[in-house]
Amino acid sequence: MIGEGRRSMVPDVTTLERVLSRALGGGEYADAFYERRVTRSFRLQDGAVHEAGISVASGLGVRVIAGERAGYAFTEDFSDDALFEAASVAALIARDGAARTQEVHLPVEPAHVASAYRAIEARSLRAESATYVDLLARADVAARAADPRIRSANAVVSDELQEVTIATSDGRFVRDRRPLVTFGVQCVAVGKERGTGFYGDGGRTSMDYFTEHTPEEIAREAARIACTNCDAIETPAGEFAVVVGAGSGGVLLHEAVGHGLEGDFNRQGTSLYSGRIGERVASELVTIYDDGNLPGERGSLSVDDEGVPGQHKVLVENGILRGYMHDHLNAKLMGSHSTGSGRRQSYRVMPQPRMCNTYMEGGASSYDEIVGSVKRGIFAASFAGGQVEISKGDFVFMLAEGYLIEDGKLTAPLRGASLIGNGPEVMNRVTMVGNDGRLAARYYTCGKAGQYVPVGVGLPTVKLSAVTVGGSGFGG
Amino acid sequence: MAAELELAERAVGFAIAAGADEAEATGLISYRFSTEARGIEVTKLEQSVGRSLALRVFRNGAKATLSTSDLSEDALRRFAREAVDAARFVGADQFAGLPETNGAPGDAALELFAPDVRERPAEEKIADALALERVVRQTDARIVNSSGSQVVDSTTLVTLANSKGFAGSYWSSQAHAMTQPIAQDGPNKRIAHYGTAARSYAALEPIESVAEKAAKRAVEMIGARKPQTTRCPVIFERDVASLVLSDIFTAINAANVAVGNSFLADKVGAKVGSELATIVDDGRLPRALGTSPFDAEGVPTRRTVVFERGVLQTFLYDTYYARRVGAKTTANAAGGGIGPNNFYLLPGNPDLEQLIASTPRGVLVLDTIGFATESVTGTYSRGARGFVIEGGELAYPIDEFTIAGNLIEMLAGIDEVGSDLIFDQSIVSPSFRIAEMTISGT
Repeated sequence: MIGEGRRSMVPDVTTLERVLSRALGGGEYADAFYERRVTRSFRLQDGAVHEAGISVASGLGVRVIAGERAGYAFTEDFSDDALFEAASVAALIARDGAARTQEVHLPVEPAHVASAYRAIEARSLRAESATYVDLLARADVAARAADPRIRSANAVVSDELQEVTIATSDGRFVRDRRPLVTFGVQCVAVGKERGTGFYGDGGRTSMDYFTEHTPEEIAREAARIACTNCDAIETPAGEFAVVVGAGSGGVLLHEAVGHGLEGDFNRQGTSLYSGRIGERVASELVTIYDDGNLPGERGSLSVDDEGVPGQHKVLVENGILRGYMHDHLNAKLMGSHSTGSGRRQSYRVMPQPRMCNTYMEGGASSYDEIVGSVKRGIFAASFAGGQVEISKGDFVFMLAEGYLIEDGKLTAPLRGASLIGNGPEVMNRVTMVGNDGRLAARYYTCGKAGQYVPVGVGLPTVKLSAVTVGGSGFGG
Repeated sequence: MAAELELAERAVGFAIAAGADEAEATGLISYRFSTEARGIEVTKLEQSVGRSLALRVFRNGAKATLSTSDLSEDALRRFAREAVDAARFVGADQFAGLPETNGAPGDAALELFAPDVRERPAEEKIADALALERVVRQTDARIVNSSGSQVVDSTTLVTLANSKGFAGSYWSSQAHAMTQPIAQDGPNKRIAHYGTAARSYAALEPIESVAEKAAKRAVEMIGARKPQTTRCPVIFERDVASLVLSDIFTAINAANVAVGNSFLADKVGAKVGSELATIVDDGRLPRALGTSPFDAEGVPTRRTVVFERGVLQTFLYDTYYARRVGAKTTANAAGGGIGPNNFYLLPGNPDLEQLIASTPRGVLVLDTIGFATESVTGTYSRGARGFVIEGGELAYPIDEFTIAGNLIEMLAGIDEVGSDLIFDQSIVSPSFRIAEMTISGT
């Protein structure tokens, strides 16, 4: 029977020591990642709360590293037998020789770590449900009132608490409680044509966040984008000067530069940025950071999923490549240190080097100067997302809201389209950087090798002298 | 299997005891194996059993769901009660509820389970991953690196029980082998990917063939350049053709149609596509990766013609969205929403070479990146790489360009469909040609 005799509490320190000792028989390093994540979400559709959901993910993963090899197993059953079995499987598959046993010792208490989150308050579902429903109803009213063209509004609120315990064979032992709240609204508007708009907000904080950042503001922004897109014309095709809007334009950095600087690709030599530390990879106007410490941002972590504290990393400084983002395995193999970038979707998978919050430092130009400098081009106000192929470095980012620029002024709104470029090529075409740097609204999630983690992005207004714009408007 | 069904039945019992009018529980047990090789090293080995349970409860026409990997008795009882509590905050909806009828449990004729997935020794699976790495490098000296080769498999037991007395379960299996070689092209690295997937190891494309095709894909892009902006015919090779079908699926998903987020919302009965556009959803093709005896609500799967020679016949429904419009479910309930069974474009006669040969001037697309499709208008735009076709032959490789159009025009513009259909995922397509799209480059 799988329903009986199963324990669902975090293993104690003695059990973790024994699990790691067993695992270490197969390699030179082992770690255990315990997670319990409870997510509640409520969804509104057609003016009524349509569905409530609770999701519980609870398990422990054991990883063993031997050189370049990594063995992994997880269990959702916390009986000693199941835990030792996971340790043995992970150890067996990474074994590089005869079995060994090594004692692992952990501190009695987990290390204290500074919190990168806003206030966390775990409240009961019953107490909080009324809040969720109220926020959704307010968003619905605000979206419909925003414009007569709004035909439908969907809204989702999600409230998550992830509790992790991380223990490593070299004695690291930490706990972390990570909140994550998200509120998203999608509107469909019907005008000359149909248009959709999405907007979201939230972060690593409690539901109180939405007292200041109200559902009305979020809903009105989604409605505004939907109505703008009703009147959108075909995006032209060809090479254009592109002004990327502050905030959500940070998707550009995430794709054009960020992924290519993740440690695994560089250790394997599969990234176009491999072996290029110290070289010029962007215009000298470009300085890019990745930061795991920004309070409340989606990509912030007190400690990463290998127990290493979040860090502020300089990736590119005045156009020169300064550093990669590392997890434990790739840092070790490259003779470097973890940058607190080891992240994973859940206990079911091994960590990978990932971005946290990636943003560009502000420059000297004003928004008006930048837009005013473009005779004919595209203003990319916000992006629905992006994708990159890290070996050659070609990337796309997808317009969610955009406008034509004619004679230095924004004119017609444009239909969604992909913009395509090559990482270093496009970053060398950064000819103006705005003084209005800011982080994007908090709703971005990054996917890599099937694992999804929340991230932050940010950008000042930036001018790219030429980018290929993939609309279907031809010869216009 | 009996124990797992009993667990699902007990979860249903907890929900009813907590005050639910109706409840349905789906248990999932998945045995997974995964290995990766790079060069001559085995770099990853993973093996685990994942267990989870999904519960849907209905109370006074309000729905709440629970998904949990904590299957302890205490947790199941507590979270079932919380789900029923949460339903108190959900609006009453006359259409919410379990399906009226359910299917016959299980169906061996579908051949979803192959014993070789569990029985094959790990050493052989690892040897396949190493062989992929070896053969991609042997195939061409310009293959200098790889992003790894993977062999991944799983065997899964699905059990479903509901408060109307339905109890069903079935085993299925899957095996995948894939590789990502990198060719050196001066200062550039050209990565390609190719893989094979089936219900059994025996049905996979041979490892040598997978490796050779992947290597060819990487090497043939050497010297690729950006094309000029133009309008011309575009051939979608089958892997990228299936991505276009995914966009079409989004638009015929009744949940999207219900909120007006589909360019096909008012098009049932209309001739939208060309004569060659016959698109089917079929949950009963033996061994296909989208096949199952019943959907996520326990409704027996079936074959539904979605487009018949270009005419939109129906959207795809689960029980809820079907009830809203007075239709019947098409057995497309999946993971809390609506999903495909085997959703595919019916194949034609020419193979890909013949398709190319019959194209005087155009572009062959082999790979796309990005996902910019507006379902509400059908506006389509992707980053791409492939070949320029001149005089019915591949002239030179191109990359860093986009293809754009509108899905309505694309459906109407399908003027040739290939024969190369393989059911290696749930949304698939043979290669096809679209009469005209916009290529954006220099």
